[in-house]
This record gives sequence, structure tokens and C-alpha cells, in this order.
Amino acid sequence: MDPDPLTPEQPQRPSVVLAVFEGPLDLLLHLVREEKVSIWDIPIVKICDQYHEAIRAMEELDLELAGEYLVYAAWLLLIKSRMLLPRHEGEQKDPRQELVERLIEYEKVKRAAAELGGLAELRRGVEAVRFAAPAAPEDMELDLEDVDVMALARALREVLERHQREHPAVLELEPMRFSVQEKIIELFELVSRQRSFPLLSHLLTRPDRLESVTLLIAALELVRLRTADAHQRQPFAEIYLTPTGAPLPMDALADV
Amino acid sequence: MVEAVLAVAGEPVTLDALQAVAGPEVERSRLEEAVELVRQRHEQEGSGLHLEHVAGGWRLATRPQHEGALREYLGYRARARLSQAALETLAIVAYRQPITLPEINYLRGVNSAGVVRTLLDRKLVVVAGRKQVVGTPLLYRTSKEFLIHFGLSDLSALPTPEEVEQVAGEGPSEP
Repeated sequence: MDPDPLTPEQPQRPSVVLAVFEGPLDLLLHLVREEKVSIWDIPIVKICDQYHEAIRAMEELDLELAGEYLVYAAWLLLIKSRMLLPRHEGEQKDPRQELVERLIEYEKVKRAAAELGGLAELRRGVEAVRFAAPAAPEDMELDLEDVDVMALARALREVLERHQREHPAVLELEPMRFSVQEKIIELFELVSRQRSFPLLSHLLTRPDRLESVTLLIAALELVRLRTADAHQRQPFAEIYLTPTGAPLPMDALADV
Repeated sequence: MVEAVLAVAGEPVTLDALQAVAGPEVERSRLEEAVELVRQRHEQEGSGLHLEHVAGGWRLATRPQHEGALREYLGYRARARLSQAALETLAIVAYRQPITLPEINYLRGVNSAGVVRTLLDRKLVVVAGRKQVVGTPLLYRTSKEFLIHFGLSDLSALPTPEEVEQVAGEGPSEP
């Protein structure tokens, strides 16, 4: 809340306004009280103008706060325009009513806050007395009243973080159990023999996931090397490999 | 016995807790008498301590008039007062609990998320479940620490809204 000591050349007024008012309702309440009128009969045009004047003085402020002030600025304008329109009898309530209700509620909050502040002030210097008795383990039992969900969540996060620190994730590299080259040769022979080879069915019968993956890469290599064609009638249907008749270029396998 | 337990507790001790120490054969009224005796003794002897009834229990504490001496001896600065924003938010939670952040924001007209976090950190408010509405926002209520901080025996010891209005009518509300 204090003005930033590093930038003393900044205009003083906005920070003063910020320090004094807790928000748009606080500012509005102040303006209404200054006018010394009943809160039920706010001179909305005057208050609206004064409010906008205050807003202008606060223009170069913290955006989040200013945003909330602007919401109320717009609302005040809306109320002001409604007040200018002729009202049909019994049709509408006073356009100011909701604003007034919120101001009254807020004033109650302010008074209760002042009351609490007073209570706290009376208790400055009241400290618990506790003779330093050694605590038995049983005494360390948690008072559940003091434990809230936030504390639990924080504790869980700490435990997880500590666990992660003490047990850093180990990247386990499995030895290459299948070679793409071998699978290319194996697949080439299967395709050459069968003329129309159902690739997906073959992959699904492999017990080892890694083998299926290696086979799939091998199949792609066969197509790339133009030794086999792949056909699929529709998405997700069986993929058939047929030999193109070209021999397997053994020297190209070294690059795979 | 009662005074000894209170001396090492460092926090409010309920009559139930004292009963558990004393055993079931001791009558409740005798415990109450014992507590009252301790309280009176600290009142009469011009003691620097007093027995206060806070958060549903009895707590031995220093008297507020010695604040300066304690500060001097312990070498700490005055405990930070709660900001106006914190007091407003706390007042809303105290009188309307359990209450959600959107409801607090609505009543104050400003976003109070940061203030609520500060109050959670100071353990003056705690989470009390979630409200079963869209978004299931967290509900907040005041804590035992809140009662101790403000010297209240329980929530019903809070000044009623009517009493607050009367007090406000007597003096200037602006600091």
C-alpha cells in the first residue's frame, strides 16, 4: 500500500487514493457520505460525475484494481441513463436500488471490520503462556481443528516433491532386442512368399510390443525401398503388403 | 492440577480435556471451581498473567498492558496489524460463514483472492469444504486461531450486527 520509494517522482495522488479506498464500493460510500444525503436518495448524476473524476485521477494505476473501478463506473452510467428515462408507474423499481443495497451491505462489512480491528487492538501483547515442558510423543498428536484442507494439500505436495528429489526418475534404456534390419529381411521373405501379406494381423499376433513396433518400421522401410506396396481399403482396415518383385537392396539396409 | 496443565498447554484447554486428565470420578462442578480459582488468583494478585476464555477453552496468557515490555525483551517489532482489506474479508467470513470467494468478492466489490490467501497463511480462516454449485468453489470459515486472535470464547461471542451498528453510530468509523 505504501508508495513505492524507488519512484518518488510519480504523481502522488493516485497512490493516496489507492491507500485510502478499498475498492469501488468504498469510494462510492465515501462520496455519498460526503454529500450528507440519505443513502436511499443518492443524487446519482452528481455522484456519477465525482466518481468518474476520481477514476480519472487514478488512471495510471494498477490495472486489476482499476478494472474493478471501471465496472462500477459503467454501472453508474447505466443507472444515470435509466434515471433520465421516464419511468412507467409500477413497472420498474428504482434503478439505484441494487447499488444502494450493495452499499448498505458493504457499510455493514466496514463496521464489522472496524469492530474486529478494535478487538485485535485490545489484545496486542496477549501471548500464550507455556512453560517449557518436554513434550511427550503423545503430546505431538495433531489437533485436527488446526488442520485444514490447504495444509493437507501442502503436506502432500511436500512429500511428493521430497520423494521425487530423493528418488530421481531413472531413465531405463532397454537393450535393443530387435533389429530393424533383421525384421526387414524377415518381412521381405514373408511378403515374397505370401504375395498378399496381412500386416496388421501379423503385428497383433506378436507377443512383444517392441517387436510389433520394429516390424512396423521394417514394413515402412520395405515400402520406402520399393520392394513392397501397401494397400488399405479404408481407414483402420487391414493393411496388405504385396511384393513389387524388386530384390531387397542389401547395401541400403546398412543405412537403416 | 488445573493450573499446572494450563501452564504447559500454551493453548486453550477445554473442560473436557481437563476432565480427561482428572478422571471421570471428579465432578464437573469441581473442575469449574478449580478453573475459577485459578482465574481469580491471577486477577487479584496483580499478576502479569491472566486466564482467558477463548476458543472454547481456558488459556493462560500475558496481559495486554505488558506488550511494550515483552517486545523489548523478546526483541521483536510490533506484530503486523491486519490490513483494512484483511479485516473486511475476515468480517465477511466471520458473519457469513461458510462463504465462497465469489461471494466475498461480491460483497467487497473487489477481487479478494490475495487477501483470502493471506488469511489462510495466517491460519485465521480455513477451508470448510466446497459449495455444491457450478464450479464447486471452496467454502471458508474462521478458525480456532481466529477466536484466539480476537479473544472470543466462541463465534456467538462476536458482537451482533446490531451491536456493531450502535458502536458505529457513536464514533467516527474512519481511522
